[in-house]
Amino acid sequence: MRWLRVFWTRLRALAGRESVIDDIDEELRLHVEMETEQNLARGMSPAEARRAARLSFGNFDSIRDTAYTVRGGGLMETFLQDVRYGVRVLAKNKGFTAVAVLTLALGIGANTAIFSVVNDLLLRPLPYTDAERVVMLWEVTPSGRHMNTTSRANFREWRAQGGSFESVAAFSDQRLNLTGAGEPEEVSVQLATPDLFKVLGAQPILGRVLVEDDIKRDSAGVVLSNAFWKRRFGGDPNMVGKPITLNGTPFNVVGVMPPGFQWFISQRSGTGKPPEVWMMLPMPPPGPDSPNERGRFLSVVGKLKPGVTYEQAEAELKTIHQRLAQDSTYNKNYTAEVIPLREQLVGNVRPALWVLLGAVGLVLLIACANVANLLLSRVAAREKEIALRTALGARRMRVVRQLLTESLLLSLLGSALGSLVAWWGIGALVAISPRDLVNLQNVGINTTVLAWTLGVTLLTTILFGLVPAFEATRLNLNDALKEGGKGSDAQGSRSRRLRGVLVVGEVALALMLLAGAGLLVKSFSQLRKIDTGFETENVLTMVLRLPASKYKEDPQYVAFFRQALERIRATPGVRSAGVVNYLPLYGGLGSATGFNVEGRPEPPRGTGPSTNVRVADADYFKTMGIRLLRGRLFTDAEDAEARHVTVVSEAFARRFFPDEDPIGKRIKVFMDDKPSWMEIVGIVGDVRYDNLTAEAEPFVYEPHPELVYDAMTLVIRTAGDPAEMAPTVRREISEIDPEQPVSDIRTMTQVMGERVARARFNTLLLAIFAGLATVLAAVGIFGVMNYSVQLRTREIGLRMALGAQPHRVLMLVLRQGLLLTLIGIGVGLAGALALSRVMSGLLYGVGASDPLTFAAIVVLLAFVALIACYIPARRATRVDPLVALKYE
Amino acid sequence: MTQKKADLLQGTLDMLILKALSLGALHGYGIIQRIRQTSGEMLNVEQGSLYPALYRIEQKGWLSSEWDTNETGRRAKFYSLTRAGRRQLEEEEASWDRLVLAITKVRQAT
Repeated sequence: MRWLRVFWTRLRALAGRESVIDDIDEELRLHVEMETEQNLARGMSPAEARRAARLSFGNFDSIRDTAYTVRGGGLMETFLQDVRYGVRVLAKNKGFTAVAVLTLALGIGANTAIFSVVNDLLLRPLPYTDAERVVMLWEVTPSGRHMNTTSRANFREWRAQGGSFESVAAFSDQRLNLTGAGEPEEVSVQLATPDLFKVLGAQPILGRVLVEDDIKRDSAGVVLSNAFWKRRFGGDPNMVGKPITLNGTPFNVVGVMPPGFQWFISQRSGTGKPPEVWMMLPMPPPGPDSPNERGRFLSVVGKLKPGVTYEQAEAELKTIHQRLAQDSTYNKNYTAEVIPLREQLVGNVRPALWVLLGAVGLVLLIACANVANLLLSRVAAREKEIALRTALGARRMRVVRQLLTESLLLSLLGSALGSLVAWWGIGALVAISPRDLVNLQNVGINTTVLAWTLGVTLLTTILFGLVPAFEATRLNLNDALKEGGKGSDAQGSRSRRLRGVLVVGEVALALMLLAGAGLLVKSFSQLRKIDTGFETENVLTMVLRLPASKYKEDPQYVAFFRQALERIRATPGVRSAGVVNYLPLYGGLGSATGFNVEGRPEPPRGTGPSTNVRVADADYFKTMGIRLLRGRLFTDAEDAEARHVTVVSEAFARRFFPDEDPIGKRIKVFMDDKPSWMEIVGIVGDVRYDNLTAEAEPFVYEPHPELVYDAMTLVIRTAGDPAEMAPTVRREISEIDPEQPVSDIRTMTQVMGERVARARFNTLLLAIFAGLATVLAAVGIFGVMNYSVQLRTREIGLRMALGAQPHRVLMLVLRQGLLLTLIGIGVGLAGALALSRVMSGLLYGVGASDPLTFAAIVVLLAFVALIACYIPARRATRVDPLVALKYE
Repeated sequence: MTQKKADLLQGTLDMLILKALSLGALHGYGIIQRIRQTSGEMLNVEQGSLYPALYRIEQKGWLSSEWDTNETGRRAKFYSLTRAGRRQLEEEEASWDRLVLAITKVRQAT
């Protein structure tokens, strides 16, 4: 605890130098008085007594000063002195200070902004009880597709046999229409087993969470999310017990969750929207009448028992699944996996975030190099001042300390301004972040982030301040004090060399950033060039979800859509209109459906091949521009009568009919309980429904009336801007049924844009940082060359006086700058080649060392450097020999 | 060499101060008086070295100080030993004894 006391007394000393000195003065004065009294007692006269006491005490001031230093006043006082002096120096050189502070602010601000995102997504504890024990349980399909949903039957087995888990819960997202008081709207509903709340350790703020019995009651219970409760019901404190109507069915609100609670796993969620309502997932006892036992549509989350590792849990789950695969061929070749929650939530953004954090780190390094450069130039300008102080007896450490204090002031100013930049930057980041980074809404500046910024600031100070400070104290006193010794001695050349090293470093770092950004830009443009299998332009889409309560019979659905399509097709400006159950790029549900081919041995149900199924009408293909490769599409008659025909995708034909012509063959797809044979009448081109970059999956299209879905997506090809057609189409729908909500109105271009939003986000950010780095590096080169020209004014003047042509002078300066740039480019290339491999996971369609990209950025950087050198070089040619020589 | 000598003296002064305070709290003047009395007027501590030493020892945590009034009702800063100071005194006395013993032995040997 001793250091604490020392610290405390020093702090007190700092707080009030006066009070410490007063304290000492008082003590010493009293001492002298006591001595005087003693002398009086010995019989001296008062004057004599006082004099003797003074004399025996010694030099009062010197004792006081020594005592003051011992009490720690000295150190703090010097620091304050340095601060005051530093403020004066910085205030006097406004231009220098502004450039340095601005540079640091950009570096520190960008750093803080990105770190706050990294902190929020990767470092901050997840908002669930014992979140590190929460894991997702998925299946892996025979074709190697990860994070696949599982079935009720398998979930039951996992729950019953999984000894590693305290509890497991299954859930599945849906959208339902909310009607009743207020506008009808679509809400995102999560069907879950009640254990979900146990697994996540979530408590409601009103009422209770779901319990097993909720499903048995007359009106089943639902739990509301806090945001939904506030938005839709104005935060009604008496909400519990009130009824709400979803898809025409009454439910009973039993609880409301707290504000921070959210549970949304975007992978395999059918809604793309965090749940607003939780209701029971029906888990009827398995029997011959439970058709859904084997449909794979459930996401599963579990909580590990304390002490169980992820690996143990996964090994156990795999063993269980192996047994399942032996018991029933339906699970043949399926395996299972366990994914820690954090990995699940942010695993796919993690590499990008680290790359971005690395990028801002590089930007900060460049900023430091720039400021160090500025300081070095200033050290040269302050040579005389420093030499004088040294000559007058200032110790070296004392001068270093003073210069470091100035650097600290600079970086503190920089980080203050940088925090503003960060605050603004975080807002911008959230604004441009992809929708599926749901957690990003909570990003902000908090204590962790501030601590990081402060740490970065101190580190920065040391980085850019130390070298100039030591450089300054290495001065040769004689040279420095002599007039005109500027830049002509060894000192000047070493300092110049140091600045050269800094410029090389800056160029190298900027090149590394540019390389990263260039690769991402190219990768992004490749991504945009992927053949999705459909035409994006001029297509408007919207979702119509017909409530089952109102449209009780299938023909009612069919009639509604037929009527809607007829009206829309008749609208001026509409070229064609069709329907499909799920749009391309909708986000994968990952559910595959089994089917049989007529004439082939029929495997037991559920063990045969599987395919994705879409329900569409013939106009869907025309509207989306999906190519018909062979055969024909559905006819209107088939639409109307459900004549059991189907169209398959190219991948389907290739995979399941490698050596035969599929047209004319009949297949049976197990979409419902009594599937019928359907004849394949056509083959259409592959469409990317789920993943842009993965291989096309097999698809079977069933004609729209064959399979009735309560929610269908309208696709409308327009003559002009599709977005402008939206209100018209909406009006047409409401004329058929005024209570029918229309949701997800988007153009196909927007759908596509959202799909590549994350790639765009990474690309944009890295491009901004690379641009920043290039500008900073250019400023650095400019600064160094400008200063070098200044130092060489005399030399250049002499050359010109002796007859050197301006272009020779120009070349002289340019050569120096470009040499540094070239070395920097060389070093940077090596670094970039080493680092870009880290990014390979973020790249698509471009190699991590793509020669074209690298060549382009080298040219770009060289060009920027050339301009940065050219301006000072031009100035050099304008040196007036007379003035330059007179200066001597 | 002078540095070493100063160290030795400083160490000795610290011990003398601690010893003087081991009998009770004193102000600076009183410490000088007590050392003079107990040493039989042989040791005279200079004020100029006393106060820096006091502040230094206080910062080490061996002393604590507070303003109070002295026997004649005059304000003064009184120093007293902390527990750490008491331990330090024992240590210094022990090491001083060892030194004296060693030097005595060496001298008797010749």
